[in-house]
Amino acid sequence: MAPPPSPQPLGSKERSLFTQVVKNYENKQYKKGLKAADQILRKSPDHGDTIAMKALIINSQGNTDEAFALAKVALKLSMKSHVCWHVYGLLYRSAKNFEEAIKAYKFALRLEPESQQIQKDLALLQIQMRDYQGYVQSRRAILQQRTSWRQNWTALAIAQHLAGDLVDAERTLTTFEETLKGVPPKTDIEHAEAVLYKNSIIAEMGETERALEHLDAAAKNNPDRTSVMELRAKYLLTLGRKEEAAKAYRVLLARNPEYRAYFEGLQSALEIEKSDVKASKDLYSDYAKQNPRGDAARRIPLDFLEGDDFREAADQYLQHMLHKGIPSTFANIKALYPDTAKKDAILQLVEGYAVGKARPLANGSAEKQSNGDKDLFEPSVRYFLAQHYNYHLSRDLNKAMKYIDEAIESAPESVDYHMTKARIWKHYGAAKKAAEMMEMARTLDARDRYINTKAAKYHLRNNDNEAAIQNMSKFTRNEAHGGPLGDLHDMQCVWYITEDGESYLRQGKLGLALKRLTSISSIFEIWQEDQFDFHSFSLRKGQIRAYIEMVRWEDSLREHPFFSRAAISAAEIYVKLYDQPNLAHGSLSNGVNGDKMDSAERKKAEKKARKEREKQEKAEAEKKDGKKAAVDQNGEPKKEDKDPKGGLLLQTSEPLVEAMKFINPLLEFSPRNIQAQQAGFEVFIRRKKFLLALRTLVASHALSPSNPITHEQIFRFQQTLSKLSEPLPPKAMEVINAEFHTLLPASTDLAKHNNEFLRQHHDSASHVQACLKVRQLIDPSTTEKNQQDVIRTLALEGSSLEDAVRGLELLEEGKADPKYKNDYLAAAHERWPEASAFEKKAD
Amino acid sequence: MAEPQPSSVQEGMDPEGPPAPASAEDRKAAAAMSSLETRGGDEEAEAKKSNNKQIDQEELGKAISRLELADKAGKVAAGETTKKEKEKEEREKRAKVKVDQGDVSLLVEELDLNKVKATELLKAHEGDAVRAMRAFVTAKA
Repeated sequence: MAPPPSPQPLGSKERSLFTQVVKNYENKQYKKGLKAADQILRKSPDHGDTIAMKALIINSQGNTDEAFALAKVALKLSMKSHVCWHVYGLLYRSAKNFEEAIKAYKFALRLEPESQQIQKDLALLQIQMRDYQGYVQSRRAILQQRTSWRQNWTALAIAQHLAGDLVDAERTLTTFEETLKGVPPKTDIEHAEAVLYKNSIIAEMGETERALEHLDAAAKNNPDRTSVMELRAKYLLTLGRKEEAAKAYRVLLARNPEYRAYFEGLQSALEIEKSDVKASKDLYSDYAKQNPRGDAARRIPLDFLEGDDFREAADQYLQHMLHKGIPSTFANIKALYPDTAKKDAILQLVEGYAVGKARPLANGSAEKQSNGDKDLFEPSVRYFLAQHYNYHLSRDLNKAMKYIDEAIESAPESVDYHMTKARIWKHYGAAKKAAEMMEMARTLDARDRYINTKAAKYHLRNNDNEAAIQNMSKFTRNEAHGGPLGDLHDMQCVWYITEDGESYLRQGKLGLALKRLTSISSIFEIWQEDQFDFHSFSLRKGQIRAYIEMVRWEDSLREHPFFSRAAISAAEIYVKLYDQPNLAHGSLSNGVNGDKMDSAERKKAEKKARKEREKQEKAEAEKKDGKKAAVDQNGEPKKEDKDPKGGLLLQTSEPLVEAMKFINPLLEFSPRNIQAQQAGFEVFIRRKKFLLALRTLVASHALSPSNPITHEQIFRFQQTLSKLSEPLPPKAMEVINAEFHTLLPASTDLAKHNNEFLRQHHDSASHVQACLKVRQLIDPSTTEKNQQDVIRTLALEGSSLEDAVRGLELLEEGKADPKYKNDYLAAAHERWPEASAFEKKAD
Repeated sequence: MAEPQPSSVQEGMDPEGPPAPASAEDRKAAAAMSSLETRGGDEEAEAKKSNNKQIDQEELGKAISRLELADKAGKVAAGETTKKEKEKEEREKRAKVKVDQGDVSLLVEELDLNKVKATELLKAHEGDAVRAMRAFVTAKA
């Protein structure tokens, strides 16, 4: 039925016009290109290639749908034209449908096997999609077309390496090397990198002996000295040639005496056991003497020394640091705190200094003079103690506050001290005071970006987004599209966008929260796409080892904690939206009182809210009209964000489907994050995907058998299953019967099991809360008792401020009697008088 | 970065150095049409470079055929053939497993898998849906 795909020869004039179209497209002269294309089409309206080019140009102008339609027309006209298929692939590629793009390229290549451009485009997509076998094939074809380029050889080796064929990869590199006449000059970086790359492949095969030989033979004069020396030391150590290894590590330490890994290497090369304290001590004290200003040789012994030895070494270290007034002293020390004995010894020492028990250091007076400053010892000791009492393993906030005030008194201009004071307020739960204090610290040095960032973060924690962006704007390009916030997005300032989103989530502004969290997800997507540039760039520059490292990093990109954090919050919002669809209607969302209104009232309120929203939007639109359209770096106009407030995101009709966009990568890349599993459960149980829900339960239970949230989720799973309106498919039921009952045996007396769990964890507020939730679930008549018991959790010694806030949420979720809520607030306020969460609210 | 940058400074990478422009240009180049493409500069430079290194084209030609032979020989030597054969056997064994389409749909529905993955999972468990799903549910994180 399709018209016979007869090749349509163009006249010579048209042929040159067609070349013109292609040139115009490459040079982005789209209008000219379109005009020329139309000129050809007037003569021969059925010329597929020209229509395809037209589609490509239209796509570049932003009309993707039209472009696809046109490309299909072109394909119908010239089924056998590789140009048309290539264009089709390019369109899919720009729409990020890489699988379809690969198919189209392959078709184009079948029609025109000699085309290097198509081959190259295909190869790029294959490596991007991690189709290693396909990539090896493409690379082989490219190499055969042009054997004289070294990068083609290296590229084939990379493909084989990534596909797991290490032997082939090495052979490819060697085969090329054998064609070289003589050794390339030292300045040939491409060669130098290729040699080390080959070395890394040999080492990866586990042939350390040969890797060492190769390194000694081929990398003697390699410009990357550090890598060669580090590799050599490592190989020697692996091979058990301890003496030489020790020598190699000593040479490395002479170059960089602050690198812990070298010390560790040296220690194992010298066969000093961790338990042999004396030998270790001597080793480090030698280095400390050699390098009197160094830190590592003094700090590392604190890790392994014990008792009096520790005390003595810590005393020296602390006095040295505190005399110099080094602000990071506590940060350097706190890693020792999990060891209670060391923590106590340190506290004893520093409190001793505070009451004048410090010995003046031998060279202390000399140092003082040379610095010309007043002695920083006194305030530094106070500062250290404040940080000590502010740290979660040794917290006593009142003492911390006392010490920091004393420190500030002697150094009223210190940014660091005020910053710590702000952190103490934060731990009191006083978000507002913390933000104010941090803001004050910022004004002490308005040009310091660190404290600026910190102040912005504290404003966000205090839910003051306006003040935060105000701070940030002092360091952003404010003429960027979208102002400071737009620039923060351009610069991919992930921490800010995350904190901003979480702040909106706390305030119940779900649209804005979703907007920010979705931005995080797109930034990760951009990072994944950024690879595209490097598949060819790294080859051209010959930076192969860095490239391989990048590819592997990209493979686990979404393991990053920032992604998990954003994904968990986003999933939480979508679950909320599913449970309470009325949250999607804008301003109503910021309070629970939406439920209390009757429908007439609600309608009225909704209408009012809508009107307000429209008014606001109009005002903003007017404001925007004044400015001229922003352009990106290539001079193309930026796409207008049609949904700056995230309202459209909120109004999704399928929140759970949207949630899966976060849950899928989350569970794939961070399966060992229990919060991720728990977030997955909440979505799956609502989607009625019981096997998948069960899977998250099995996983969370394996990660932590006594996690309170998992405990609650197990019960909810059981309850949901027992109340199904339609039975599950028998095979699915069989799976559940077999697997769920290892978590909660069928014969279990639910109430008894829950009480047993409660008994085991009666002193942990979060566990008690979970048990109360379960009790409520299996016996709805216990509401009153449960709400009273929530109040009791406040009296538990181990209760944290976070636990208490969660308890309050629990009461609010359960729509508790205001009486209980007030009792709770009063009790919580008494225990955490500074915490803003329990301040008396106007209502 | 305490002070505002002078207007001449570009955000991001140095234009001479690493990725941005070179790669952007590359991207555009990749978008160019195949058969009509003539990008002389790069190739000439490469050609010159290879001349400097005095690479013998003939030598390279031999090298490539050597590589192909060696690839085959190497695989035999490295015992990869046996490995591959085992894989092949495994594949063939799996291919023989009969899979009930109803079970495939069940897995697709219950486990959010696509058809290909669901079929694979079933075949890996001899077509036993319950066993396949149990394995999926208890898979180690």
